[in-house]
Amino acid sequence: MVSNHVRLIKNGRLELDIWRLFDATTQSIPPHDSHWIVKFDTWKQNIDEFQLAKYPIAILISSDSDLSNLPNEFLHDDLLLGIEFIAIDFPNYTDGRGYSLAQLLRNQYGWRGELRAMGDVLIDTIHYLARCGFDSFLVKQGHDPKLALKAFEAFTVHYQRSYLKPELASE
Amino acid sequence: MYIYSEVDQRLVEQRVAQFKDQTQRFLNGSLSDDDFRVLRLQNGLYIQRHAPMLRVAIPYGMLVSEQLRTLAYIARRWDKGYGHFSTRQNIQFNWPVLKDVPEILAKLATVQMHAIQTSGNCIRNTTTDHFAGVASDEIVNPLIWCEIIRQWSMLHPEFAFLPRKFKIAVSGAVKDRAAVGVHDIGLQAVRESKGVGFKIWVGGGLGRTPIVGKLINPFVPWSDLLTYLQAILRVYNLHGRRDNKYKARIKILVKDITPEVFTQQVNQQWDLIKNGPDKVTLEQVQEISNRFSWPQYDCSLSDYDSIKNCKENQKFNRWLRTNVHSHKVQGYASVTVSLKVSGVPPGDITADQMDALADMSEKYGFGELRVSHEQNLILADVEKRNLYLLWQELDLLNLATPNIGLITNIISCPGGDYCSLANAVSIPVAAAIQQRFDDLDFVHEIGELDLNLSGCVNACGHHHIGHIGILGVDKAGEEWYQITIGGRQSGANQKNNSNKDFSSGGAAIGRVIGPSFARDQIPQVISVLIKTYIRLRDSDEERFIDVVDRLGIEPFKSDVYSDPTLTQPIKHKEVIGGQ
Ligand code: SF4
Repeated sequence: MVSNHVRLIKNGRLELDIWRLFDATTQSIPPHDSHWIVKFDTWKQNIDEFQLAKYPIAILISSDSDLSNLPNEFLHDDLLLGIEFIAIDFPNYTDGRGYSLAQLLRNQYGWRGELRAMGDVLIDTIHYLARCGFDSFLVKQGHDPKLALKAFEAFTVHYQRSYLKPELASE
Repeated sequence: MYIYSEVDQRLVEQRVAQFKDQTQRFLNGSLSDDDFRVLRLQNGLYIQRHAPMLRVAIPYGMLVSEQLRTLAYIARRWDKGYGHFSTRQNIQFNWPVLKDVPEILAKLATVQMHAIQTSGNCIRNTTTDHFAGVASDEIVNPLIWCEIIRQWSMLHPEFAFLPRKFKIAVSGAVKDRAAVGVHDIGLQAVRESKGVGFKIWVGGGLGRTPIVGKLINPFVPWSDLLTYLQAILRVYNLHGRRDNKYKARIKILVKDITPEVFTQQVNQQWDLIKNGPDKVTLEQVQEISNRFSWPQYDCSLSDYDSIKNCKENQKFNRWLRTNVHSHKVQGYASVTVSLKVSGVPPGDITADQMDALADMSEKYGFGELRVSHEQNLILADVEKRNLYLLWQELDLLNLATPNIGLITNIISCPGGDYCSLANAVSIPVAAAIQQRFDDLDFVHEIGELDLNLSGCVNACGHHHIGHIGILGVDKAGEEWYQITIGGRQSGANQKNNSNKDFSSGGAAIGRVIGPSFARDQIPQVISVLIKTYIRLRDSDEERFIDVVDRLGIEPFKSDVYSDPTLTQPIKHKEVIGGQ
């Protein structure tokens, strides 16, 4: 029963996910308590307020977000403090934009913090995701998270040198 | 032939294991149909009209005898004793059973073969000139570069789920035999004072919206090739359309944002990664080159005493003219084994023929073969003095049809007999044309002519770039065929060091001559086109395509549509008997 809910892979282990997505239709920013994920646009529009917030938040980037127009230093140090993690949404696992967005966040914008894959995250895509810089994964319902953990080792050799070699952090 | 390293082998085996697991999960119900669909496509497995179809990659067209024997084994054990070579240097098996596929893949892996990325919206098998490495007009050996690209593109973590399929072609010679102008990316090797590099065309392609590529960079140094490709793919992955499958190819993106803006965006991305770890190093190139088993030529051979005592054999002579091609090394020639014998679907080969050709390749050609996009096999390195013997052996097996480059060397997709996307059949049409042109003297008199045939707009038979193209269309549930002329896969020979902007790589898309025809009328349409050509050509030297270039499609069109036996189709109903 519980195992059904434990589908977050982080630091090479399964964890219970307690973050929730803020719905910006009624209020512009979430109430002052912890574990809110806000959409990228909501965050951008209210950056100042989020900087004053008491609890860190997480940002959710949709797959159709255009990051190309952002200044390279948009994730400057002051802002980083208030961000627990950045998540990229996979509305469907065949929408591969998230992989490139992850690369941009990691390499162009220098995001070193947690990068989470959310949405249609499959046992079968975890390996690619990890190589592109994701380090936490909310495995979709119906896909056994334990098998997903094993998928990090689906391939032990790789050709593309500028991408990571997935490893289980616990090792 | 490239020989796998331990890393290459392990990767392929791990993919087999992964696919086996995916298939099992699908069969035991823990992987949904939707989730499995794209995963299996990425490994070349379609669900077709009769059964699953498995497409196996023949990277850049190279095969060794042992591999061909394994394909024969697979054809016998899991298929119906034959295979079909596609137009993209792949082989397709039409009858395997899903549960057997992991075993087939494991068998392939034992001979360094796989089905990775032969389908799906990912980077497909990279194709090249079927005379790569042996052509006398070669600037750079593209095989090494194709292998570098094969490795880079295989299981690429960022580009596994692109908006649409993605095809790369590489040409290393002066004459482009890889059709670089009609690929998502076309690479033409060039040698300049600053060294070796590549001209880069982007956004060419056939299918529903045929278009020739745009030259976006006239010179990318070899060491930057992979990072430049990565930059192109990243821009496409982020910005290519995903809302409409018919507008999802990179050609639409390039057109929509203009080649200039596209190039700018590529350069922006490129700047970020250009000097990163994926820059190609000299060691890497050497290492890959050293893993090829290059043929050890006998340099004492000469061209003179080679083809004696058989000149008077007319049949052999004909074959010499069309199926034997010049080679960079004196005393050698390349031989095309025609898989276009009348009555057999173009590109089909039986298991017995595969085995026999594997033997012949060992006897006459260093145990190596090539697959051409024209769906034929090639023995690339044959000693000229053995040509007669080889011809006799091929002839016995019905593999010596002297029609390479001629009208009966039809390129055709499997069409409605096999493919569930088809609007019309193609194999019977190809057969009817071959039957109409069964007089070899006449076929030779017509001269060079590419006739390409596709069963639907997906254009797997490359009909747009045939000198004559035939496309199956659907009209109110009936099969009809549209004719184009004037297409070509590449242009006149282009000197590599001129700085001219070859905006198309020399490729051209054929033009539709008018309303479509019923299946039975096609041989007659082709006959009229040929008659018109023969009447109008100024000498034997002037090819069909040259006449179309010189005079346009008008004279052909008016002859076809004034032919009394062809006048009806304009009103379709009458032709199909008023149904
Ligand atoms: S062109 Fe159409 S009919 Fe022919 S193989 Fe491709 S999809 Fe099938």
